[in-house]
Amino acid sequence: MKHFTLFPVVASLLLVSSLHAATADAEKALQQSINEVLVVTEKSSGGPQLAEDIQPILDRAVSFEAMTRRAVGPGWRQFTRQEQEEATRLFSKLIIRTYSAKFTPGQQPDTQFLKPSSPGEGKVEIPTTVLYKGSRYAITYRLEDLGRWLVTDILAEGVSLVANYRAQFDALFKKGGAPAVIDSLKQSVARSS
Amino acid sequence: MRDKYMELGVGLFVLLGLAAVTYLTVKLGAGSLLSTDTYPLEARFANTGGLSKGSTVMIAGVTVGRVDGVRLDPSDYSAIVDMSIASSAHLPTDTMASIKTSGLIGDKFVALSPGAEESFLAPSSRILMTESALELESLIGKMAFGSVDGEAPQTAPEPAAKIEP
Repeated sequence: MKHFTLFPVVASLLLVSSLHAATADAEKALQQSINEVLVVTEKSSGGPQLAEDIQPILDRAVSFEAMTRRAVGPGWRQFTRQEQEEATRLFSKLIIRTYSAKFTPGQQPDTQFLKPSSPGEGKVEIPTTVLYKGSRYAITYRLEDLGRWLVTDILAEGVSLVANYRAQFDALFKKGGAPAVIDSLKQSVARSS
Repeated sequence: MRDKYMELGVGLFVLLGLAAVTYLTVKLGAGSLLSTDTYPLEARFANTGGLSKGSTVMIAGVTVGRVDGVRLDPSDYSAIVDMSIASSAHLPTDTMASIKTSGLIGDKFVALSPGAEESFLAPSSRILMTESALELESLIGKMAFGSVDGEAPQTAPEPAAKIEP
């Protein structure tokens, strides 16, 4: 009888400790990736070379496949395998080029990690505040356990990167299907180079 | 005898009027009590920005549900929004819920943006991808006055670039 009464207590303790372990692992993975990017930016003089240098780090830390799939939304199912790969490649390039272009050589961001939370199994949200060029911004990273902890969305001042692109891609897809989405991505990438 | 018919007629008219008012109150008010063809869902937000019971839930501008209530999760002080969604709206698991405002100073509503997953949200499950209400005042404040650490006024970072068609 005692075993039965103890079971819920033990189960909830195990659950709490596994949640703690998950958030700690996710936070560690994110911290490591940010540090790797900072090492590159410290020596970088900016420009397109910076985007090339940080691409391999971000490919390891971010699930661009999940990000692109979610950014495209329901239309993704109608993309062929080849179109999905092409869209993912272009989307990752666009994101990296857009943000690396905003980097000012000699200015390093200072990231402070706030208390992470786990909204669901295999998902962790890590809020941070970033001090860059004298201004403080609220950046929240959403990570998922997809074999390893990967970033799947970023919220800047509460605005989701995925939601922002979903609104744009959805309109494009309804207008011209997968080719319209890929064409606009190609044009945006060409403009960002 | 004639007076009796007159009184009966007036009584029936009043009853019909009351029934019409009740019907309209239920249909246009906080919830369609007559419709039970819905399923419950919840979503967690960092800030609901004044969303309240009875607010609409929309997909592509079409009303598909109502907010049943907003409560506080004491574990992390986030807000949990309970919603009733029309059974005809099957939502993928990566559906995103955002709190939007109709117009600049209009009512708050929940906008659902379906994702690409092939599995669907089960009744009583929680939408995990959410976007909280934007605090226009704080964003305007940052743009106008810069932040407390600032050397020079800065604008908020752009969350993402715009895709040109």
